[in-house]
Amino acid sequence: MEGDGSDPEPPDAGEDSKSENGENAPIYCICRKPDINCFMIGCDSCNEWFHGDCIRITEKMAKAIREWYCRECREKDPKLEIRYRHKKSRERDGNERDSSEPRDEGGGRKRPVPDPDLQRRAGSGTGVGAMLARGSTSPHKSSPQPLVATPSQHHQQQQQIKRSARMCGECEACRRTEDCGHCDFCRDMKKFGGPNKIRQKCRLRQCQLRARLSPVTPSESLPRPRRPPPTQQQPQPSQKLGRIREDEGAVASSAVKEPPEATATPEPLSDEDLTLDPDLYQDFCAGAFDDHGLPWMSDTEESPFLDPALRKRAVKVKHVKRREKKSEKKVMERVKWKEERYKRHRQKQKHKDKWKHPERADAKDPASLPQCLGPGCVRAAQPGSKYCSDDCGMKLAANRIYEILPQRIQQWQQSPCIAEEHGKKLLERIRREQQSARTRLQEMERRFHELEAIILRAKQQAVREDEESNENDSDDTDLQIFCVSCGHPINPRVALRHMERCYAKYESQTSFGSMYPTRIEGATRLFCDVYNPQSKTYCKRLQVLCPEHSRDPKVPADEVCGCPLVRDVFELTGDFCRLPKRQCNRHYCWEKLRRAEVDLERVRVWYKLDELFEQERNVRTAMTNRAGLLALMLHQTIQHDPLTTDLRSSADR
Amino acid sequence: MAAEEPGDACSSSAWRRRQEVPEKPNYALKYTLVGHSAAVSSVKFSPDGEWLASSSADKVIIIWGAYDGKYKKTLYGHSLEISDVAWSSDSTCLVSASDDKTLKIWDVRSGKCLRTLQGHSDYVFCCNFNPASTLIVSGSFDESVKIWEVKTGKCLKTLTAHSDPVSAVHFNSTGSLIVSGSYDGLCRIWDAASGQCLKTLAVDDNLPVSFVKFSPNGKYILTSTLDSTLRLWDYSRGRCLKTYTGHKNEKYCVFASFSVTGGKWIVSGSEDNLVYIWNVQTKEIVQKLQGHTDVVITAACHPTENIIASAALENDKTIKLWISDC
Repeated sequence: MEGDGSDPEPPDAGEDSKSENGENAPIYCICRKPDINCFMIGCDSCNEWFHGDCIRITEKMAKAIREWYCRECREKDPKLEIRYRHKKSRERDGNERDSSEPRDEGGGRKRPVPDPDLQRRAGSGTGVGAMLARGSTSPHKSSPQPLVATPSQHHQQQQQIKRSARMCGECEACRRTEDCGHCDFCRDMKKFGGPNKIRQKCRLRQCQLRARLSPVTPSESLPRPRRPPPTQQQPQPSQKLGRIREDEGAVASSAVKEPPEATATPEPLSDEDLTLDPDLYQDFCAGAFDDHGLPWMSDTEESPFLDPALRKRAVKVKHVKRREKKSEKKVMERVKWKEERYKRHRQKQKHKDKWKHPERADAKDPASLPQCLGPGCVRAAQPGSKYCSDDCGMKLAANRIYEILPQRIQQWQQSPCIAEEHGKKLLERIRREQQSARTRLQEMERRFHELEAIILRAKQQAVREDEESNENDSDDTDLQIFCVSCGHPINPRVALRHMERCYAKYESQTSFGSMYPTRIEGATRLFCDVYNPQSKTYCKRLQVLCPEHSRDPKVPADEVCGCPLVRDVFELTGDFCRLPKRQCNRHYCWEKLRRAEVDLERVRVWYKLDELFEQERNVRTAMTNRAGLLALMLHQTIQHDPLTTDLRSSADR
Repeated sequence: MAAEEPGDACSSSAWRRRQEVPEKPNYALKYTLVGHSAAVSSVKFSPDGEWLASSSADKVIIIWGAYDGKYKKTLYGHSLEISDVAWSSDSTCLVSASDDKTLKIWDVRSGKCLRTLQGHSDYVFCCNFNPASTLIVSGSFDESVKIWEVKTGKCLKTLTAHSDPVSAVHFNSTGSLIVSGSYDGLCRIWDAASGQCLKTLAVDDNLPVSFVKFSPNGKYILTSTLDSTLRLWDYSRGRCLKTYTGHKNEKYCVFASFSVTGGKWIVSGSEDNLVYIWNVQTKEIVQKLQGHTDVVITAACHPTENIIASAALENDKTIKLWISDC
C-alpha cells in the first residue's frame, strides 16, 4: 500500500499512537504514515519505527549504529544513548542486515512487519552511524549518556565475539587476546623481533576447532593406549607431536618426530615418561623451540632437529591433507613409519646442525672443550675442530697411516684383483692399436715422400705446347656455370680457376685456430700454425690449403703443368701433361690437392694416436688409484675364507 | 636328498639342472667390504656380473668387484643421501636416486655424472632402468612416479601414482609394465608406454608397502609390507599365491630379491640383523645368514653365480658377500 503523504496529518507528538487512518494499516514515524517502503529505523525502547527520511538518518549511517533510541525516548530517559558499532562488526552486521532484510525496491511488502525480533536486529543493526558521532552536523547526535544495561548491550558484547572461517569464537584459544610471545609463531612476529616469514597467529590462539594447527595442551597429549613394545621405539614426544598432526598427513610432521638413536633398543615406555606430561607443555612452548635441545632428548646430537623441522612444517603448510576418515591408530602407525624412513636422512639434520651450531661451542665454557686428539697432546682442541693445531692433526694422520696401511696392503695383495687383470688386458689392446696406428703413419709418410718426388719430376719436363691443343676443349662456351662462392655466372673453361680464387677470398676472411702451436715431431708440414695476434691463436688449417696464409706463387710462363696423366681414371700412363701451367685447365692446382689429400690422411692418423694415448692414460691412472693410498685407507675388503679368492665358479673363469 | 658333495656340487648350471632341486643353500660369508662412512642404503649387482654398486647415506656410490670384493671406484656428486642405485642393462651406466630431489646418471668407466634429472619435488626414493635402458622410472616422496628418457634427461611422464611416498618402482622383463608400491598400501601396475594404470592391488588395508618387484619371468609380483610379510602375487588375477614370514620388517624399506641361479629362493633382509632365505614353493625358511650388526636393509643376488650381497645400516656400514654351492 502506498502511503505517499498526500494527506498528511499533523505529526503527533506521541509516536506510540498507531491510529489507523481508515485503511487498517499500521502507521509509523513522526509523520504518522503507513509507508513502509522506504528505509526505516526502529527505536530500541519504544519500538516505534521511523522513516529515515523523516528523522534524517540514511541507511548508510544506520549501519554504524548498534542501538538507537528515538528523540522522544532519549529526551524522556536521559540514560538512553545511541550506541555505535565497532568498525569491523559494523561491516559484518551490515552485511547480515543487508542480506536478511530486503532493500527498498518498490512495490509489495518489502519491509517485513516490524516484530520484536526484527526490532532487536534492526535496533542493533541500525542506528546513527559512527559518522554522526564523529561529525557535528547531525541533529541526532546523542549526548554522552551513561550506559544502560539493556538486552541490546548483551548483544553488543556478543557481537564482539569474532567469528571467521578459522575462528569459532568460543574456545579458549579464540578468547585469548594477547599473544604469548614465546611460541615459534610469536617469535616470528615483527613485534617480537621476528623476520615475519611464517605469519601465523600465536600458537595458543589457534582456534581449537577450526584452525589448521591445534596447540599442544597437556590434556590432549596423553594419547590413546600405548602400543606394546618393542615396536614402539621412540618415547612420547613422537606421540605428542603426532597428535598435532593427527588430522593431517603432512610429511613434515614426521621429521619432527625423529627417534633418538639408530641403535636405541626397543624399550617399554617407562613411567617417568608419562609424568613428564604436565611440564612438557611449558617446556614445549618455552624451551622447545630453542636451538638448545629439547628436554626429553638425551642425545644432544639429535636435539636441534625440531627447529628445522618446524621450519619445514611452516613451509609445508600447504601440503596438509585431511585424514579424518582413517582411524587414529592407523594414522599413528603410518606417521611412525614415515618418520622411520627419515632415519636415513638424519645425516641431513646433522649437516644442518653443524652449520647452525658452531657458535654453540663458544657458548660453552672453556673447561668443557674436548681434548685435542693429537698423540700425546693435552691441550684443548680448537672450537669446531678435533685438534689444537695442524701439527697434531698431521701427526695423528701419520700414525694412522703407519699403523693401518701395511695391513691393508697385505690384504690387498692376498688375492688377485680382478679389475687389475681387466686393466692389464685393456692396456694390451690399446698398445696393439697404437702399434697399428704407427704403421699407418709410416705408410702415410711414405706416400708423402712419393708425392713430392712425382711433383719434382713433373717440373723437370719441358713444355710441349703442341701436344695438346686447346681444341680439346669441346665444351660449350655458352653454358654458364654459377660460382658456388660468389654466385656469379662464369665461363666453364675458367670455372675451376675462378672458383679456387673465389673460395680462397671468402675463406680467408675467417680464421680457424687453436691456442697451442703444433708440436709433433716427425710432422713436416701439417698445420699452418701462423700466429694471429688478435685472436691469439695458431692457424690450424692444413698448410697446403690455407687460403689465409699461403698465397699461390705466381706461375712463371714456362712452367709446365706436369700432372701425371691417367687412363680410365686409375691407371697411370707414365706420361705427364705438357701444357704450360697457365693454360692447363684440367689439372689446375693438382699438386696442392694431392698434397692436401696426403696431409689429411696423416692428420687423421695422428688424431687416432692421440685418442689412444688418452685411453691409455686413463687406464693407467685408474690402475694406480685403485691401490692408491687414499683408496686403501678408506676401504677394506676382509676375506673370510682364504681359499676362495675368486667367487666365480670355475667354469666361468 | 640325493648325495651331493659340497665340494663339486653345483659348479656349473647345466650340471646342476640334471641333479635334483637342492633343498637348502649353504651360503657362507666370504667377504666383508668396508668403506662407507654412513648407512648403506642399496646394493646392486651389475647385469654382467662383474661389479657391485652400493649407495649410501654418505652421499657417494662405491663400485666394488663382484668376484673379489675389491674396491674399484667412488662416484661423487650428490649433495644429500642416496637412497637407491640401479644398473643399466649393458652395465655401463648407473642411475642413483637421492634426497637432493634429483637423480643422476653416471658413466661407470669414467666415474662422471652424465646427467642430472631434476623434477621431483621431494626426496627421490627408488629408481630403475628399463630392460632396453632407454628409460628410467623413479618414485619419490612427492607421491609421484616419473618416467625419464635417458638420452635427453627429460621427464617423459609423471604419474600421480599414490597418496603417500612411493617406496619402490620396477620394470618387468619386457619393459612394458611398471609396478609401483607405496606407503598408502597400494601396488599399482602401469602401462609404460601410455602411463595408464592397469591394475591396483590393495595389499592390505592401509598397510604400507615397502617394496615391490616383478619376478624374472614377469608373471608374479613380490611385495613386502611393513607387517613382516612378503607376498607373491599373480597380478593378472589379483591373487596372493604365497606368503613368506618369519623375518622382521616393520620400519624400513627392506629390499628383497629372487635367487634363480641355483635353487629358487626368495632372499630378503630383515631388521633383526639376519638375511632370510625362503624356498619359493614351500615357503619355508631354508637359511638365515648371520654376520651383520645392524638392520640388513638390502640383499641382492648375482645374475649368474650363487652370490648374495647384503648391506646394513648405520651401526654396521659394511657389505657382505656370501657364496653358496647351490
